[in-house]
Amino acid sequence: MKQQQVGTIVGSSVHLTGAIKDVSDISIFGSVDGEVTSEEKVIIEESAKVKGPVSGREVIVSGYVNGTISAKERLELNASGVIKGNIETKNLLIHSGATFIGKSSMPEKKVEEGFTPEEEFEAETETEEESPLAAKDEEEDPDKDI
Amino acid sequence: MYYYIFEQPRNARERADFEKIRDIAREFSISGEVSQASPARSPEELVQIAIEKNYTTIVGIGNDAHINKIVGAILNANVTYPLALGIISTDPNSLLHERWGFTSPQEACETLKFRKLEKFTVGLIEPNIYYLTSARIECPKPTRIILEVDHWKAEAIIDRMEVSNNLYILLERYIKEKSLIKSAYNWLIGKDNISADQSIFKGKIIKIDSAEPLPVLVGDNIVAKTPVNIYRKINALNIICKRDKIMTDISSNKS
Repeated sequence: MKQQQVGTIVGSSVHLTGAIKDVSDISIFGSVDGEVTSEEKVIIEESAKVKGPVSGREVIVSGYVNGTISAKERLELNASGVIKGNIETKNLLIHSGATFIGKSSMPEKKVEEGFTPEEEFEAETETEEESPLAAKDEEEDPDKDI
Repeated sequence: MYYYIFEQPRNARERADFEKIRDIAREFSISGEVSQASPARSPEELVQIAIEKNYTTIVGIGNDAHINKIVGAILNANVTYPLALGIISTDPNSLLHERWGFTSPQEACETLKFRKLEKFTVGLIEPNIYYLTSARIECPKPTRIILEVDHWKAEAIIDRMEVSNNLYILLERYIKEKSLIKSAYNWLIGKDNISADQSIFKGKIIKIDSAEPLPVLVGDNIVAKTPVNIYRKINALNIICKRDKIMTDISSNKS
């Protein structure tokens, strides 16, 4: 048996239940019910089905994931990929045709830019409130241009 | 002092090679007691004799099965003094030959004389089968197995399974190409029509179960049948290694 640092591979004929953890890459072709954690890359292939939280430095999804995904550096959702759950990553790439149902957040980036989601929300509300007022002014002074 | 356990030679050439090793060991001043396994005297019995005589180095000369028997006998003996194992692998196609195969008897004896020791992890199949190479299950047809490893459980259909000494698990399912066009194309380009769907895991404790008992092999010997528990014994054995190579473990991975 030739062994190298290949990490963990869950083949397409395997159904795994429980938590799998590895310091190197994890590739999933089969189905996993449980937590998937790697310090490196997690690759969820087209034939794969994962029910549970996924975390890794980089996560690439081409299959189906029902659970939260946390990618420290990068998350890529390919065209064939489906994510049902919240995602958290610094760098997000979603290809056309992919399905993503959930919330995404980029916590570290927000801190870097000094921009919080509350501020963003306030800014949006202010603009929304301003426009009806402006409309009212226009109504009150209809002969303004005359 | 060295205690040499030779495998029973299979042919005249092997007999001559063994003679050469004995002669050169004498030249290198590492000669000791020489014994040869036979149907009347198993390698396990010879290890027992060596330990009773307080030999500090046992040298196994032969194929993987012979070496694994010596490894098992040493570890089952619960030796109280520091004992080292020397290995001269004579089967060029074996896993051990990659690590302990020598181009000449001189090189082998030089290694033994230099006595550079490394600690190695050994696999243990319950109750007392130790192995330095790998244990495997080969199924005549795709078979469903249940695998319990550390914090997870898996169901898999396999044709072949291998568990290394430090509990790297390889599951293989052979898939035949269904498309006739692709099969024909593969035939034209000389590619195999059967591909292997592989799974690779690591573990500390493995439990393998199946609906019907499957034989577990180490080398060519059936050592157990499923259900079976496999463990690893970290740094269980001192083995003499080549001094020009940096080696950590049999499978290149420190446990």
